[in-house]
Amino acid sequence: MIHDFGIVWSERALLLSGLANTALLSTLSAAAALVLGFLVTPALMSKHRTVSVAAGVFVDGMRCVPFLLFAYIVYYGLPSLGIRLDNWTSGLAALTIYNAAYMAEILRGAWVVQPREPIEAGIAFGFPEIRLFRRIILPPLLLAAGPVIGNQIIQIIKDSAFLTIIALPELTHAASSIQSRHYVPFAAFITAVFLYWGLCLVIEAGVSSIGRVAEERR
Amino acid sequence: MTGGDISAIFQGAIVTVTLSLIGILIGMPIGLGLALIRWANIPVAARIVTLYVSMLRATPLVTLLLLLFFALPNIGVPIDPISAAILALVMNTSAFNCEVWRSALMSFPKEQFEAAQSVGMRAGQRFRRIVLPQIVRVSLPGLVNEMSLLIKVTPVLAVVGVVDITRAAVRIGARTYEPLPPFLVAVALYAPIVFALVSLQRWIERRQVAAEAAA
Amino acid sequence: MKYSFARSRSLSRRLMFCSLAALFALPMLIGNARAASMEEIKKRGLIVATEDDFNPFEFVKDGKPTGFDNELIEDLRKAAPFEIKQQILPWTGILAGVSTGKYDAAITAAIITKERKQSLEFTSPIADATHYYVKRKDDKSINSIKDLSGKTVGVQAGSALLGRLPELGAMLEKEGGKLGKVVEYTSYPEAYQDLALGRVDYVVNTIINLQTLVAEKPIFEVGQAVSGKSFPAWAVAKDSTELLAFLNEFIAKEKASGRFAELQKKWFGEAFPNLPVSFEPQF
Repeated sequence: MIHDFGIVWSERALLLSGLANTALLSTLSAAAALVLGFLVTPALMSKHRTVSVAAGVFVDGMRCVPFLLFAYIVYYGLPSLGIRLDNWTSGLAALTIYNAAYMAEILRGAWVVQPREPIEAGIAFGFPEIRLFRRIILPPLLLAAGPVIGNQIIQIIKDSAFLTIIALPELTHAASSIQSRHYVPFAAFITAVFLYWGLCLVIEAGVSSIGRVAEERR
Repeated sequence: MTGGDISAIFQGAIVTVTLSLIGILIGMPIGLGLALIRWANIPVAARIVTLYVSMLRATPLVTLLLLLFFALPNIGVPIDPISAAILALVMNTSAFNCEVWRSALMSFPKEQFEAAQSVGMRAGQRFRRIVLPQIVRVSLPGLVNEMSLLIKVTPVLAVVGVVDITRAAVRIGARTYEPLPPFLVAVALYAPIVFALVSLQRWIERRQVAAEAAA
Repeated sequence: MKYSFARSRSLSRRLMFCSLAALFALPMLIGNARAASMEEIKKRGLIVATEDDFNPFEFVKDGKPTGFDNELIEDLRKAAPFEIKQQILPWTGILAGVSTGKYDAAITAAIITKERKQSLEFTSPIADATHYYVKRKDDKSINSIKDLSGKTVGVQAGSALLGRLPELGAMLEKEGGKLGKVVEYTSYPEAYQDLALGRVDYVVNTIINLQTLVAEKPIFEVGQAVSGKSFPAWAVAKDSTELLAFLNEFIAKEKASGRFAELQKKWFGEAFPNLPVSFEPQF
C-alpha cells in the first residue's frame, strides 16, 4: 500500500495538473455563470410575458436535464448543428450555461427578499443607474446569497468531475489514468477525494469570510 | 435510429428509475439516522458523522463510485457494478439528506419537546408522534430537491458499466454517428421525471407558505 | 457544509487525523486480495471480465454480448467443468480488477506489454495486434507516417496503444518530426466519433479493430503500422499458474479443432494460423 502511494506520488505532476484544470475550470465557469445569471434573473422577473416565459423555460430546462447528458449534447451533439468545440471549451460552456440557470434562481430568491428602501432612497438621491446597481443593489445581494452561491460553486467543482467522460484532463481523469496504468485504484482515488475535499474547504473558507463581512456590515 | 435502439434506451430508463428509487428509499432513513446522531450529540459518533457528511458532500459521485468499485475488492470486499452503484448513490444522498433533516431538527421548537417530556412521554413515543411528523413536513421540499438531484447524477454510473438512459443513448450515437436523435430521446425521458419532482417541490413549498400565513 | 472549525477545534482535528490514519492503515492491515486457486474456482465458478465496447473482440448488440471473445466464452462454458460468471465493464477497470484479484481472468484483447507482465500473466496470443493508425478518408494531408508529425492523436486511456506511442514518437523524430497532442478516451467509439468530427486527426488501434471499423464506416481509411510486433492475449493474475495452464489448454484445443481459425475469419476477416504459443514483449 505504501508502494501504491509511492506510485501516486511519482505521478503527482499529472494529478496536480488535473487539480489545476479542475480549479481553473470551476472558477472560470462559476464566474461566468454568475455573470450570466445576473442577465437571466431580470429576464425571469420581467413584466413582458414572452421574456419571462423564455427565461423560465431556460431555467426549468437546465434543472430537468442531467448535467452529464447536457455535456454530451454540447460535445457530441452540437457538431451535427455545425458548432464544434474542443473538449475544454465544451466543458466550460456546458458548466457555465448549466449553472447560469441555477445562479439565476439563487439570485432571484435573494433579490425577492431584499428590502426596497435603500434602492428607493438611492433613486430619490439621484444615483445614476450603474452606480445604483454597483453600490446599493449589488453588495447586499451578493452578501445575502453568498452561502448559497458558495454551495453552488462546490456543486460546480463536483460537476467538473463528470467531464472526465469527454476526455477532459481534470482531476478524476488524472486519477483514473494513473490507476488504469499502474493498478493502484485505492491510492489514486482516495488521493483525488482528499484533493476535492481540500478545494471545497477553500471555497468554504471564502464563503465564511464573506459571511463575516456581511455580519460586520449589519 | 432503429426500434431496437429506442427499446435499448427504454431499458436504460428502467435501470435509471430502479436504481434511483433504491437509492432514495435507503438514503432517506439513513440520512435521518445520521442527523439524529448529530442532533443528539452522541460523543464520538457525532464527530464521525460530521466528518463523513463533510467528505461525502465534497466528493464528486463519479470519484466516489470509482473508489468504491476498484478499492473495495483491494481490501478483500468483492463488489459488482450494480452494488457499487447503489452503495455510492446511498452514501452520497444520505449525506445530503442528513443536512436537510438536521436543519429541520434544529429549527424544531424546543417547547414542544419539553412539553412532551413533562407529560411523561417516552423517548420513542415522543419521537414518533411529535417530532417525526413535523420534521417530515419541514424537510419535504429539501428531500424532494435531493431526489431530483439524485436522478440527475445517475448517468455517472456508466463508468462502472451500468447501462442507464444516458449510456444507452451515447452508445447508439457512437455507433451511428448521429448522436442528436438518441440524446433527444434521453432528454425526453429524464425531463418528465425531474420536472414532476421539481413541480412537486414547488407545490409543497407554496402550500407550506400558505399554511404559515394562515396560522 | 455548515461544519465550522471554530467550535471544539482540537477534538475535531484529532478525530479527523485519527480517521485519516485509519483510512490509510486499513488496506495495509487487510492487504491485497490474492489470486484464487483452481480448487476455489471449481467451487465458486470462474469470474471473467470483458470490455463493453471493443469491436470486433467484444461488444454488445441488441442487448446481447457478442464478438470474438464472447463466442469463445460460449465455447469455454461448454468445455469447462465449472460455472463461468461474466462481468462487462469499461476497459479501464479490467486489468486493475484482475491484478487485484477481483476477476480471475480478463477474456479480452489485452496487448502483452513488459509493464503489464509485472503484475499479470498472459495466455497464448489470440490474434495479431500490430498498431496502425486510422484517419478520415478525405484528409489528404496525411499520407505517410511523417505526415503525422504535430497532429492530434486519439487513443484509449490505459491501453498498450497509449503506452507504445513513444515508439511512434521515435519514428517521427527520426524524420525530424514529433508526436502531437494525445487525447485519452474512455473507449474507442468515442475516439472514432471525434475523428469523424475532426477533433483528432488520427486514432491508433490494432489492425484488427481498424479493419473492422473501416469495413463498417468507409469514411475512414487505415494508414501504416506505427509499431513493431504486438499480440493481444487473455490476462490472469500473476500467481495463477493453474488457471493459466487451463486457459492455454483451451486455446490450444480450439486451435487444433479449427474453431479458432473459423472465429478469426468470421470476426477479423482472416485467420492467423502462425500465432506464437507464448510471446515475450519488447515493450
